[in-house]
Amino acid sequence: MHRNIFAWPFLALKVSIMSSSPTTRKFHKDRGLVTRMYFTMFMLGFLYAVFALFLYSAGTAMIFIVPIIGIIVAVQYFMSDRLILMSTGAKAVTAEQEPELHRMVKMLADRYDMPMPKVAVIDTAIPNAFATGRNPKNALVAVTKGIQERLSERELQAVIGHELAHVANRDMRVLAIANFLVTLTSFLMTMLFWNMLFGGMGGRRNNGGGGIMMVYLVTIIVYFIGQLLVLALTRYREYGADHTGAEISGDPGALADALEKISGTIAKIPDKDLRKLQTANAFLIIPAALKGEGSMNLFSTHPPLQERIKRLRELEQRMRYGLR
Amino acid sequence: MGIFGSNKVAKNDWSAMSTVVKAEAKLQALGEITPSRRAGVIYRNSDENAFLNDIEFELKSILYVGEGATKTAFEIEDDDRGMRWIVLEDGNFSDLVSSVYTVGNAIGVNGAEDNLLAAVFELYFTGTVEDNTYRSGLRTYWIYRYDRKAFYPFVPTGDNEGDRDRSTEARLGQDLRKHGLAVEKSLTEWMGLWGIPF
Repeated sequence: MHRNIFAWPFLALKVSIMSSSPTTRKFHKDRGLVTRMYFTMFMLGFLYAVFALFLYSAGTAMIFIVPIIGIIVAVQYFMSDRLILMSTGAKAVTAEQEPELHRMVKMLADRYDMPMPKVAVIDTAIPNAFATGRNPKNALVAVTKGIQERLSERELQAVIGHELAHVANRDMRVLAIANFLVTLTSFLMTMLFWNMLFGGMGGRRNNGGGGIMMVYLVTIIVYFIGQLLVLALTRYREYGADHTGAEISGDPGALADALEKISGTIAKIPDKDLRKLQTANAFLIIPAALKGEGSMNLFSTHPPLQERIKRLRELEQRMRYGLR
Repeated sequence: MGIFGSNKVAKNDWSAMSTVVKAEAKLQALGEITPSRRAGVIYRNSDENAFLNDIEFELKSILYVGEGATKTAFEIEDDDRGMRWIVLEDGNFSDLVSSVYTVGNAIGVNGAEDNLLAAVFELYFTGTVEDNTYRSGLRTYWIYRYDRKAFYPFVPTGDNEGDRDRSTEARLGQDLRKHGLAVEKSLTEWMGLWGIPF
């Protein structure tokens, strides 16, 4: 479900690491999904190259900036599990403290052929769960008390399966690299802004304010597009994890149920009796059909819940009737 | 009635309501429901409307007389919340649906379109052994709201207002949409009807 930004250090340029790795995978991937992911990655790389070219022609010194970002990203990468624990208040729990949870995680990890990850619990009523770790050996899966209380065993299992799928798909690495590119860009943007205001620091050779303004504008645009691409990428990884988790468990409906339960969509179904409704609709100027939801799609890290649930239900249907 | 409201019943009701025929047939073919034969139209009765005052006679002539009449059996029932129900029964589901449409349409064109609340279809799920999607023998209602021109599933768990199986309804709604039913998109509009008289 939700992963903190710290959890996204570093991406495997290829999703194919999965299939070429020594561990055998019992699931196959969603082809279209992989294609789209590659495309997004390609676009990111392309954007990065174009951007570098621009900077080069504008005469900016990157020698100072790159190492700094490198260090930050490395810290994120190698300490992500500790950072996560620190930033979310998740507490690692032993098998004695949470026998049921441990048993469930162990069982699922076995199905993925991955070592037992660290298990943590967050003491909050808000239902959520996340996974982190640069590879399966360093994985951590955390759930909140709220989600433990609210979901059935079958549903909680689906949620943890989804989180472990992120680990198995090396999503933290994928997103870390994407994140790295955007971080780099934002750093450069700040540096350039600095240059523009105070001059100096390597920006001297430039031929006047117009050039810098130009670079600044381009940086903003590149950064913005970069962000959109990263968000698109995370959404694809999200669908991917839904899919992988469903194939591992063989029960796509369980995750759909869980999502519905915790998202509160179900809570929207009213208590009210239709007979209490006055003929209010006659006065409505905006027809119901025009009041559609969505339009935040582009910016949200997770795909719209409706869409995820829909896809899971479709998968459920296909599995049930044996259509592939 | 404002500028926007004058053709509420006439235009799209059939295209929206008839999606239930396809959806029902699909679920039948999949073996997920047993044949359905009952439905109802609920409206707010009014003394001032001549057609509504004479509803029994009017419906008899509409449903029983003439070529192509569906001959769907009907009963009139008043519930304890001040509403009137036309309860229809027909072994042929598409006849049942067209009778329901006809009843609603007749009420609408005779000046009582704002009195129309909903059409309600009763469907029983069979459930299958290996999937635990719907409980075996689960009774569901598919409510068609005239003002929204869309359906939604209703699975009451008791007679008190608010007693309903929301998670089953939510997943049923998804499935039914997939099977071609015109499902109401906004869940907040899925208002229940407790104490349906059939």
